[in-house]
Amino acid sequence: MKIEALDIRKYFGPVRANDGITLTVEPGSIHGLLGENGAGKTTLMKILTGFISADGGETRLDGRPVRFASPAESIRHGIGMLHQEPLDFPPLKVLDNLLLAFEDRLIPGRQQVRRVLEELCRRFNFSIDPDARVNTLTVGERQQLEILRLLALGAEVIILDEPTTGISAPQKVLLFATLRRLAKEEGKSVIFVSHKLEEVEELCDRVTVLRQGKVTGHIEAPFRAEQLVQLMFGQSLLRSDRSRVPLGEPALELQDVTVQTYRLTVSHMSLAVRAGEVIGLAGLEGSGQRLMLRACAGLQRPSSGRVRLQGDDFTRRSYRDFLAAGVAYLPAGRIEEGLIRGLTLTEHYVLTQRGHQPLFIDWVGAAEGMQHKIAEFNIRGQSGTPVEALSGGNQQRALLSLLPPVLKVLAMEHPTRGLDIESAMWVWEQLLERRKSGTAILFISADLDELMEHSDRIIVFSGGVMASPIDAAATSIEELGYLIGGVRDNS
Amino acid sequence: MLQRLSNLTLGLVPVVLALLFTTVILIIVGAPPGEAYRNILQGALESPDKWASVVTAMVPLLLCSAGLLVTFAAGLWNIGVEGQIVAGALLATWLALNLTLPPILFIPLLLVAGLIGGALWGLLAGLLRVYGGVHEIFGGVGLNFIAIVLTNYLIFGPWKPADGATMSGTDPFPPAAWLPRLGDLPVYPTAVVLALAAVALMYFALRGTTWGLKLKAIGKNQRSAFLMGIPTSRYMLGAFLVCGALAGLAGSIQAIGVRQRLIPGVSGGYGFLALLVVLLAGYRPLWVIPIALFFAAVGVGSPRLELSMQLDSALGGTLEGIIVLFVLLAQGVKRKA
Amino acid sequence: MRKRLFRLLILAVLALTLLPAAAIAAPPVQEGGTVYTIQKDDWLSKLADKEYGDPLAYPAIVYYNNLKAAEDSAFTKIEDPEFIEVGWTVYMPTAEEATAFLAGEVTGALTFGIVMVGPFNDHGWSEAHYTAGQYVETNVPGARMIWLDKLNVGDRPETTLEQVVDDMVAQGAQFILTTSDDFQTDTDTVAAKYPDVPFLMISGDHAWTGVAPPNVANYMGRMEYGKMIAGCAAALKTETGVMGYLGPLINDETRRLANSVYLGARYCYENYRGGNPDDLQFIVQWIGFWFNIPGVTLDPTEVANDIFNAGADVILSGIDTTEAIVVAGQRAEQGETVWAIPYDYEGACAEAPDICLGVPYFNWGPAYVNYVQKVQAGTFEQEWIWAGPDWTDINNRDTTAVGFIKGDGMTAEEAVQLDAFIAGLADGSINLFVGPLNYQDGSVYLADGEVATDEQVWYTKQLLEGMTGPSE
Ligand SMILES: Nc1ncnc2c1ncn2[C@@H]1O[C@H](COP(=O)(O)OP(=O)(O)OP(=O)(O)O)[C@@H](O)[C@H]1O
Ligand SMILES: [Mg+2]
Repeated sequence: MKIEALDIRKYFGPVRANDGITLTVEPGSIHGLLGENGAGKTTLMKILTGFISADGGETRLDGRPVRFASPAESIRHGIGMLHQEPLDFPPLKVLDNLLLAFEDRLIPGRQQVRRVLEELCRRFNFSIDPDARVNTLTVGERQQLEILRLLALGAEVIILDEPTTGISAPQKVLLFATLRRLAKEEGKSVIFVSHKLEEVEELCDRVTVLRQGKVTGHIEAPFRAEQLVQLMFGQSLLRSDRSRVPLGEPALELQDVTVQTYRLTVSHMSLAVRAGEVIGLAGLEGSGQRLMLRACAGLQRPSSGRVRLQGDDFTRRSYRDFLAAGVAYLPAGRIEEGLIRGLTLTEHYVLTQRGHQPLFIDWVGAAEGMQHKIAEFNIRGQSGTPVEALSGGNQQRALLSLLPPVLKVLAMEHPTRGLDIESAMWVWEQLLERRKSGTAILFISADLDELMEHSDRIIVFSGGVMASPIDAAATSIEELGYLIGGVRDNS
Repeated sequence: MLQRLSNLTLGLVPVVLALLFTTVILIIVGAPPGEAYRNILQGALESPDKWASVVTAMVPLLLCSAGLLVTFAAGLWNIGVEGQIVAGALLATWLALNLTLPPILFIPLLLVAGLIGGALWGLLAGLLRVYGGVHEIFGGVGLNFIAIVLTNYLIFGPWKPADGATMSGTDPFPPAAWLPRLGDLPVYPTAVVLALAAVALMYFALRGTTWGLKLKAIGKNQRSAFLMGIPTSRYMLGAFLVCGALAGLAGSIQAIGVRQRLIPGVSGGYGFLALLVVLLAGYRPLWVIPIALFFAAVGVGSPRLELSMQLDSALGGTLEGIIVLFVLLAQGVKRKA
Repeated sequence: MRKRLFRLLILAVLALTLLPAAAIAAPPVQEGGTVYTIQKDDWLSKLADKEYGDPLAYPAIVYYNNLKAAEDSAFTKIEDPEFIEVGWTVYMPTAEEATAFLAGEVTGALTFGIVMVGPFNDHGWSEAHYTAGQYVETNVPGARMIWLDKLNVGDRPETTLEQVVDDMVAQGAQFILTTSDDFQTDTDTVAAKYPDVPFLMISGDHAWTGVAPPNVANYMGRMEYGKMIAGCAAALKTETGVMGYLGPLINDETRRLANSVYLGARYCYENYRGGNPDDLQFIVQWIGFWFNIPGVTLDPTEVANDIFNAGADVILSGIDTTEAIVVAGQRAEQGETVWAIPYDYEGACAEAPDICLGVPYFNWGPAYVNYVQKVQAGTFEQEWIWAGPDWTDINNRDTTAVGFIKGDGMTAEEAVQLDAFIAGLADGSINLFVGPLNYQDGSVYLADGEVATDEQVWYTKQLLEGMTGPSE
C-alpha cells in the first residue's frame, strides 16, 4: 500500500511539531524517518495512525484521501504502529492478548488463534510461548508480539517508532531480518523511525530527514553518513576525546551482596567503585544488572552481604538515606518512573530540590531556576510545559537537568536511550564532567558502543551471574557482544 | 479564547443535558417540570430560615470536600470519608455525654475531638492502604460499615437514653455543648467560618506549598514520586489524616450543632455527596463552593416536592447524580477526542 | 442525518418542558361556581387540574361542595375524596374561591401537616396516622392535609424535623402532628420556634411533665386494653400453657404493654379456662428495636422461631412488622398447632387468617378530628391525653381510640368468652391493674388492693413477677 502525507501541520502552542511535512512511502520498501530529538517524528506518525489529528494537510492511501479518527480506524485501513513508549500490556497470556485483537472480527476460537500464532512465529523465527504472560516477556519479545498482532489484524503499512531502543543485539538482528522480509517478500510498507544513523544505513531503502518540524531532505540508499548528519543537525559533529580523571577513594562498595526477587537471584556480588570511575553494566535484559544497580541505589534490599557508601554501612538503610548521602538513580522508564505526567517542568524543579524545602513555594524563583536548566540543557519546552508534552529525548534531558549538582554515586538505566547522537554526546559530556567532582557512575546500556566508549570498567551479567569487571580499554565490541549473548555481533 | 469558550460549553452542556433528562423523567411521571423546579428553588430559598438551612447543609459538604481535595490530590479514593464523619461525631459525643464544662471550653474541645476522631479513622484507612495493601476503596467501605455498626451499638447499648433506646439517637447533649446558632436561624456561624476556612486553606496548601505539590506528585505517579525521594507512605497517611480530620470536624458539627445529639445516621450521607461535589468540581478547590451550594440547595429544597406535589423527593438526589454522570461523561468524551 | 434528528429531539423536549409552565402561567378565569355531573373516568384531582390548573386544589371542591350539600340535597356530599361516582352532582367553586381556599383565607379552612416516621403505606403505625389524616379531610370541611413520611435517618439522612416543619408552615400548615416517639425532643425545639402553631405530639409525655413549650399537646391511645384483650385471647387458646411475646426495644411503654398482655392472659386462663394462672409460662423476647435492622437488632424471624421452639403455641407481636404471624403461619402449614396475634394495623391478620386470633390496633381519626376542630375554633391548649376505647363499641371507627378485631382463629365459644371479658373491662367490673402485683425482682408494684394510677401504669419500671425475660 502506498502511503502519502501532504503538507502535514501540527502545532502545540508555539511549538511547530510538524510544519508542512510531505512524504511518500512506496509499498515493498523500508522507509527511514530520521531526525534529532523533538524533530517531530513521533508526532507525524501519530497523525498517520489517527492518534492525534493534524491541524492541516492530508493523508492518502493509494491515492485516496483518508482521515482517521482513531488508531482502531487506521488499523482497519491497514496501518499499524509500534510505539516509542511501549503501551501498557494487560497481564494476560500472549494468546489472550491476541484474542483481544480479534475481538471485533469473527471471534475465532483459541485453537485457531494458537495456530495462527504458531504459524507466524515459524515464519519469522520468533519464539514466543503462547501461554506466557505478557508482562514476563522482554521488551524485544513484546515487540515481536506486537508485530504479529498487527500482521494478524491485516496491517499493510507497519510503522515502528524507535524500535531498537531497549532490545538486545540478537533481537535487533532478528527484527531487521523480519522487516526486510515483510517489505521485500510480502510487499508491505515499513516506516522505520530512528535517530541512529547506522541502523538507517543498514536497513532502509530511502530516508526522509526531519529537522524542527520540516523536511530537510529525501535520500535514496546508499547513504553517506556525513550528509545525513548535516541534514539532521545542520552541522557536522566532532567526536570529543575521552579525558582521564584521577580516581579517588571507593565511593561505593558491594561486599558479597546477594539480591533476590521472586524471578531472579543474583548472588555474591563484590565490587568497589571509586570516586570518578565509570562502570558500564552490560547484559541481555533481565540478566541481573538492573537488580544490582537498584541495590547500589538503595532500592533493593540485599538478602545478604553489605553495601557501603564512602565506607559507611548502608545495607539496611532506606532509599531516602541513600539520596541524602548523595546517590541518584535514573530509571529507564522516563515517563513511567522518572517524571510525573501532568506536572510542569517547574513543578518538577520544585520537587527535586534537595535539602531544606520551604513550605511555601516561590513559584517565580522556581520558574527562573527551571528556565536556567532549560537553557543549560537545551530542552525544547517552557518551564510551564507539562512533561508529557516533551518529546522523548527532551524528557531525558529534563530528567538529567533535575539531578542535583553534586553527587557521590549516579546510577542510571539507559542514560541516552532515545537520544539522537548529538544529544547523547552532549549528555555524556555533562555526565563525565561530574567525575571531576568525584561522582562515581554506574550505568546500564544495551548500546555496546556507548559501553565501550564511556566506561572505565564493564561488568557483564548473564542469567543472574555477575562476571568480574573487565577493563574497557582491554576489550573490543566483538568480545563484549560475545560475552553478553554468546553471539558475535557486528552491528 | 476559543479554547476557553469550548471549556465553558463543555462544562455547561452536561448540566443542561442533565436538566433535560430530569425534565423528561418528570414528564414521564406526569409532573409539570417547571413547577417541580420552582418548588425545589422555593423550598431552598424562600425564607431566611431556608437560606440558613442551605448554608448549614453546605458546612459538612465543604469540610468533607476540602478533605477529599487532599486525598484526591494524592490519587486516593477516600470512600471512607463517611466513616470518618461518624468517627468524629462519636468521639465528640463521648465527651459531650460525659463531661460538664462551660461552653467556652466545651465547644472548642468537642470540635477538636471531632478532628481527632475523624483523623484516627482516616489514619486507619491509610494504614490499611499503605501497610496492609488493602485498596482504600475496600478499606473505606469496610471502615464505613464498622463505624455505622459501632454507632448503632452505642446508641442502642451504652449510650441509650434513660427511657429506652430509639432510632432518634442518644439523649440530647447538655446545652453547654450546643454549637451556638445565629439568633433563631438554624445556622452555626462557627461552623460556617471553619468550613470556608478549610476550603481556603486547602486551596492555598495545594497550590502554593511543597506539601501540596508532593501530594499531587504522588497522586499522578507514585513510583516517580518515590524515586524523587518523596516519602510517599508518610504523605499518603498524612492525606488520610487531614481528610479524616476535616470529615470528623463535620461529624462533630452535625452532632453538637444540627442534631444536638448522636443519631444513627449522623453522617447524613454528606461524605458521599462531597465525593460527587469534588468530582463535579474537577478537583478545583474554588469550584467546590458554588457546587456545594447547589447540592445543599437541592437537598434542602427537595422535600418540598413531596409536600406540595407528592413527588418523591429523591428526585433532587437523582438530579445531582445525573449531573455528575453527565459531567464525567463529558470529560471522558473530551479526553478521547 | 443523525445530528438533525438529535436537534429535533432536543427541540421537542424543550417544547414539552415549556408547555406545562405555560399552562400554569395562565389559569382559566371563571365567573361563578358551576354545577357539574360526574362523568366516567373523572376523579377529583383531575377535575381540579382542569378547572384551576392545579390537581392539588381538589380539597377546595370537597369543601365548597360539602357546604352546598349541607343546605341543598341536590348535591352529593363527598365523604372520601378518592371515591366519587358517575352521576353525582357536585358544586365546583370559582377559581377565586379555590385560590382563596388554598391560601387559607377562607374561615374554617385549615391546613394541617402530618410528619410520619415510616412509609405512609407501611401497614402499621405510620399508615394508621395517614389514614386518620384522610379521615379528617372528609369529616372536617375545609381541612386539608399535607404530609411527609419516612422521616428517619435511614431514609432521609439529610432532613431534620425543623426543615420539614419550616416547609409545612411555609405551605400554610396551621397545625402540625408529629407522630413518633422519635420526634419528641425535636418537636419541643421546633414548637418553641413557632409558638403560634399548635403541635400534637403522639405518644410523648413532655406536655404532662412540663418539659414541652405551651403549644405542644400529647395524645396517646390506651393500647393496654387492646393488649389485655389480646392476652385473654391467647389464654383462651393455648394448649401448652406457654405463650411468647415478640417485643421491640425496652422502655416504659413496651414494658407496660407486655405486662398488659400478661395480666389479660392470667385473668382469662383462671376465669374462663379454670386453670391456675401461675402455671402459665409467659416468655418475653426483645429484638432491640421497632423493626429489624440487620446487624443491630436480633432478627425477629429467628426470635419468633425461638419462641415456638421454647414450647409456646401462641405468639403475640409487639413490633411494627409482621414476622410473628408470618412465622406462625409457616409453622401451621407444616402441621403445628400454633396461633398468632399481630399488632398495630387492623388488616394484619391477612398474613395468615386461619391462625390469627385477632389484632389490637390504633384508631387515631376521631382524636385528630377533635384536635383539628379545636384548632379551628381557637380552643387548642396544652394537654396530655391518654384515650381509651369507646366501650360501647371498641371497633367504632368514629369514636374509639383503640380497638380489637377478632380473628378467624377464634371459635365461636371462645369469641363469646372474649366478649364477656371485654364487657367486664367496659363496665369496670374487671380491672387488672390492681394489687397485689409484684415486679419481677419481687419488689412491690401495687400493694394489696391498690388501684394503679395513670402515672403508675405509664411509667412501668419492670416486667411483672411470673414473666420470663429481661426487664432492662
Ligand atoms: N502533546 C504535546 N503537547 C505539546 N507539545 C508537544 C506534544 N507532543 C509533542 N510536542 C512537541 O512537539 C515537538 C515534536 O515532538 P515529537 O515527539 O514528534 O519528537 P520526536 O521527533 O519523536 O523526538 P524524539 O526523538 O525525542 O522522540 C517537540 O518539541 C515536543 O515537545
Ligand atoms: Mg519520538
